[in-house]
Amino acid sequence: MTEATLKTLIEITAGVTLAVPVGRLDFEASTGFQQAIEQAIAGAGTSAVVVDCAQLEYVSSAGLRVFLIGARAAKQANVRFSVCGLVEAVRRVFVVSGFDKLIVEHADRAAALAALQ
Amino acid sequence: MIGLVEELVLLAIEDDGAIAHTAGSVGFGMSLIGAALVELSNHGRIDADLDSLRVMSREPTGHPVLDRVLQMLVIEETLTVEQWVLRLASETPELVRLALKSLVGRGVLEQTESRFLWVLRSRRYPVIDGREQKEAKLRILSTLLGEDLPTPHDTELLGLARAGGLLEAFLTSSEITRLEGRMEQVGGIDLFVRGVESAIREDQVERARAMMLPMY
Repeated sequence: MTEATLKTLIEITAGVTLAVPVGRLDFEASTGFQQAIEQAIAGAGTSAVVVDCAQLEYVSSAGLRVFLIGARAAKQANVRFSVCGLVEAVRRVFVVSGFDKLIVEHADRAAALAALQ
Repeated sequence: MIGLVEELVLLAIEDDGAIAHTAGSVGFGMSLIGAALVELSNHGRIDADLDSLRVMSREPTGHPVLDRVLQMLVIEETLTVEQWVLRLASETPELVRLALKSLVGRGVLEQTESRFLWVLRSRRYPVIDGREQKEAKLRILSTLLGEDLPTPHDTELLGLARAGGLLEAFLTSSEITRLEGRMEQVGGIDLFVRGVESAIREDQVERARAMMLPMY
């Protein structure tokens, strides 16, 4: 196993938790990312989680699975879940897999936050 | 708990223990390979993206079907999931045999042999208590009829069962038609399953092309 290639930054603003993955989301990074997303959903007073993917360069099959787990967990916790800022390589994975049909996507962070007002 | 590979094989076992004709289809074989790839990915042995499948560890999992597939994923070449599925398709009979043996060994199926017209040997695999087979069907039905987002396992099972032509065993054609929209939305949200679907389409195109070759 190689070292994880992803950092996930968490920012909280007015009940919205922003999760910002930076780097590559592959199998090695998937466990850490899943923990970060689960913590974001479970955060006190969180009504929405936005995953800002502007600095996410790559998603593998294992990484995609974490997005699905996160979206499902959020729905079950009655927390709104969306993604924004997808780079082309990541968007292709979402489109080919069909995940784009299940998730709310915004162009960027500002649009995502505006949609939650 | 049984895995995706065994669940697909169980869905191909009919009430009398006979293996459905579907199990001989190319679609079923490719779905079974897809199931093995998904499970290898869950075990941390492989990962994939749209351009390639990457072997991360060759350590055996202890599961005969998965280890057989893992052995065949030679790392000298870079192939997509679709290309691997097409390449491994010829191994399907052996993978089905290993999966049946595993299910018999775990007490899920029993193996019986009889003779038809005193000559033709026939082998059946009656389900012992039916719990695992029923659970696989219920998982698919609850994914299709529910409103929740599916778990990764459930979307993979639905997608692979659909690609392998196994839904027809317990859903009528009108039910399948009625649920088509939901299947599109929640079935097979996974790059391995999408690779299987592409491989099946590619195989169909190749077969159609072969049939259209001029005869001299």
